[in-house]
Amino acid sequence: MADTIVVPEAPVADADAGRALREVGRSMPRLESTAKVDGSVEYIHNLRLPGMLYGRIHRSSIAHGRIVRIDASAALACDGVHAVITADDVATIVPNPYYGPAFHDQPILALGKVRHVGEPVAVVLATDPHVAEEAADLVSVEYEPFDAVFDEVAAAAPGAPIIHDELKPAGMFTDLEHVAGRRGTNVALDARLRTGDIEKGFAQADQVFEHTFRTGKVIHATFEPMVSVAEPAGPGGLTIHTASQSPSFVRSEIARLLGWPENRVRVRTAFLGGGFGAKLYIKLEAMAAVCALLVRKPVRIALTMDEQFYTITKHGATVLIRTGVTNDGRITARQVETYWNGGAYADIGPRVTQKSGFTAAGPYDIEHVALDNYAVYTNDPPAGALRGFGISQLVWAYERQADIIARALGIDPLEFRRRNALRNGRKHATGTVVYGMEVEAVLDRLAEKMEWHRPFDRGSGTIRRGRGIAIGVKACVSPTTSTAAVHVYGDGSCAVHTSTVDMGQASDTTLAQIAAEVLGLPTPDVRIVHPDTDVTPYDMATLGSRSTFHMGNAVRRAAEDVRAQLLRIAAGALGVDMGDLECRDGAVLSRAGAKLTFREVMLARFAMQAGTIVGVGSYTPSYTKPDPRTGYSPNITPFWMLGGAGAEVEVDCETGRVTVTKLVNVADVGRAINPASVERQLCPACSICRAS
Amino acid sequence: MKSFELVEPATIDEAVALLEPDDPGVRAIAGATALVPMMKARLFQPTRLVSLRRLDGALRGVHEHEGGLRLGALATLTELERSSRVRAVAPVMSRALRTLSNVRIRNVATLGGHLAHGDPHMDLPPVLMTLGARVRAVSRRGERWIDLNDLVLGYYQTTMAADELIAEVHVPAQPTGARTWYEKFTALSADDWPTVGVAVWYRTDAAGSDTTRPTVMTEARVAVSAATERPVRVPAAESALTGAAPDDATFRKAADAAADAVEPLADLRGSAAYKREMIRVHVRRALERAR
Repeated sequence: MADTIVVPEAPVADADAGRALREVGRSMPRLESTAKVDGSVEYIHNLRLPGMLYGRIHRSSIAHGRIVRIDASAALACDGVHAVITADDVATIVPNPYYGPAFHDQPILALGKVRHVGEPVAVVLATDPHVAEEAADLVSVEYEPFDAVFDEVAAAAPGAPIIHDELKPAGMFTDLEHVAGRRGTNVALDARLRTGDIEKGFAQADQVFEHTFRTGKVIHATFEPMVSVAEPAGPGGLTIHTASQSPSFVRSEIARLLGWPENRVRVRTAFLGGGFGAKLYIKLEAMAAVCALLVRKPVRIALTMDEQFYTITKHGATVLIRTGVTNDGRITARQVETYWNGGAYADIGPRVTQKSGFTAAGPYDIEHVALDNYAVYTNDPPAGALRGFGISQLVWAYERQADIIARALGIDPLEFRRRNALRNGRKHATGTVVYGMEVEAVLDRLAEKMEWHRPFDRGSGTIRRGRGIAIGVKACVSPTTSTAAVHVYGDGSCAVHTSTVDMGQASDTTLAQIAAEVLGLPTPDVRIVHPDTDVTPYDMATLGSRSTFHMGNAVRRAAEDVRAQLLRIAAGALGVDMGDLECRDGAVLSRAGAKLTFREVMLARFAMQAGTIVGVGSYTPSYTKPDPRTGYSPNITPFWMLGGAGAEVEVDCETGRVTVTKLVNVADVGRAINPASVERQLCPACSICRAS
Repeated sequence: MKSFELVEPATIDEAVALLEPDDPGVRAIAGATALVPMMKARLFQPTRLVSLRRLDGALRGVHEHEGGLRLGALATLTELERSSRVRAVAPVMSRALRTLSNVRIRNVATLGGHLAHGDPHMDLPPVLMTLGARVRAVSRRGERWIDLNDLVLGYYQTTMAADELIAEVHVPAQPTGARTWYEKFTALSADDWPTVGVAVWYRTDAAGSDTTRPTVMTEARVAVSAATERPVRVPAAESALTGAAPDDATFRKAADAAADAVEPLADLRGSAAYKREMIRVHVRRALERAR
């Protein structure tokens, strides 16, 4: 099955100190493994609060239309039903109930019209979940149906039914300002990139290939569907327990909707039963919050597995790709036009469109590039992030075409990619110079693992065999910021406070390893405090392959801050120079052999076995906003990611059934903090992409 | 979901007394692998569920009976899969069970529920049809035997009355030299319902002393499921086999006859035309593998 390898081999040494690393770079079991197996681990899904009501959503049965009338009387007549909440009720506490990370376009409950099948129209609150479910069916809604549009290319064309009267960018992203107030269009964002002279590039080509590739929508279907529990906290506060990848964003957005300062909204999470991009931004949080504030009771809203299909999907996309090549296999020009099916509400779609869209030419060194990306509203459920943030749709197009071109030119497909590989030190089409991205090393490992040089048995009779490779590039999302705090308690024990959400990717263990490395502790001795916005510092979100790098660096800086404080106290207590001290084995050691345990350091600082020392660290990589006309930026991303895959398949010619007989996954991960957990991420990643 | 009554009788007499001939909201429930998803999808709203899980031993176990098998309706699919008695009498069943859904389902789903559900995608009905199996159904009116070929009438429809329960399944002793195979074809994921299921059974005359006479099939049974509205025997294919030699040409002829005779239904696993071709391919393959 999947043969996961990691390149390059990680050199285990600390660049700064020149000393061997003890915790970082080692394969370690997850800190939470035992608790996950024995069932004692916390999931919000299991949370029940005293006096809590269960919310059940009544959803739109049509794709597009005006709401004429909502009749909740039969639902309200059910025994055990406490209230039925509609947009009119929402308006009493949130006058402008539209939310979203990129556009303020999604109402907490449908307001005036519905834009997709399954859109929440009303919430029934009951003391029993089964009563709520039955009563939700009894809500009756009369609609005046409008024409609907589901195809992203049709929706972008003139004359398509208009889904939103006016574009309302959120203001958080300055590169969306130019679309504010646009009317009469379903194109939420047009993002372009121009480098070189595309017509000149095609003129230099011996042959030009033009294809259209499509991908369908995919659903995350996490084992733990979305769930949020909101409770009023005193007269002016609110607590939201939620299975979310972005607790900090939830706090900001709920505070904005309510017109409150952020410090009155507390958002906490636990482990997630899967995320994959589904549990980002606002999903059920605003609905649960408004219900709880209206009835002044805790309210739990939890989706069924089926309801997730109405909530968020991966984008379907149509990719028109035109490539000019010389007869010896050099790409001279590439033009890509991508229509992203964003569904009825933008969610993070415009970010997917722009942040992934600029990689549409692939990991190739091409002088003349023209990319156009359109985020398009349709009457499908909203689309957002799903493992790879839009990258796989583009890879499908440019790598399929790479094979078609290589075959037409009579060049080995691997060799064709090698001839066009984007090498370190060269400029990417955005204008950012590429570093730390080993295209050739990945191709080499693919060739080795696939035994590419050996003759391949293509089969005979009814079973035929084929093989192929593909590579893809992603840029880490930017600009973003992370902050972490490291606490040393009175007894010398240590906890890391971060808002990174462990949704199965092993971030708790990885971040603990980084803190343990700096402080000279064994990793299992480091406690990770889970996201709670009253307690843990801001983090942009757990998404876009950013946590280990951004939060990892923030944790490292916070731990260094704490270490400096511990060494300063110890230096005073021992009467030695700080430079003669290091942290190791839970203690401060001097070159001369003196030793103060952390416990003793705390005693020295507070004159009693008590107190707290706090270290804080933030990490915000630099970034240059791209020119909106050209997409040009000398600093578009803090780092590039490159992955490759190879597969051998068998086709049963009598049935058409395809069996994958070999699958190889190669990723340039740099230095793995926890190699075993990296492998355990890459193996399922290739399975989820196969399913997609 | 509306609230409903859940009763757990201790004996089969109590159980059948709790079933109602005229109320479609009253159903027996055993492994719950089919009924509960239908309840969650609100396709079925029970008024009373008669749980069979506390019933005494009468409906359990795998027994040998006159060289054949008596299988309790409450035997789980895993019990059948692992039973050496089943393997000895009907190895085709043991093999089919290994690819039936997944281990989590097999651990709780029961034989009786598997048959009474009437879903045409079930794996065992075509197998049991070719093995000549019968079910014993019980009700307040007494008991009766139903041939497997007559059990399923259509999608979720059986000849069972609403107040009847399957008590056991009888698989007769198999003649020496009977050849069997179940060919399952899934177009989607490996543990998906079959797109086409084909069970075949045939026996040949004992060539015995007269080696100049070619071996021919004296009796043949072919059953097709999943692609069709209900599992069906295919007489056209069976008559193409009977009296002919078990060779490639005969098998192709029988496969063509089956493809012509059966009316496949289109769904997300394939068009009717595709399924017709899949019936052709898999009847032939089943016969080849039975040989």
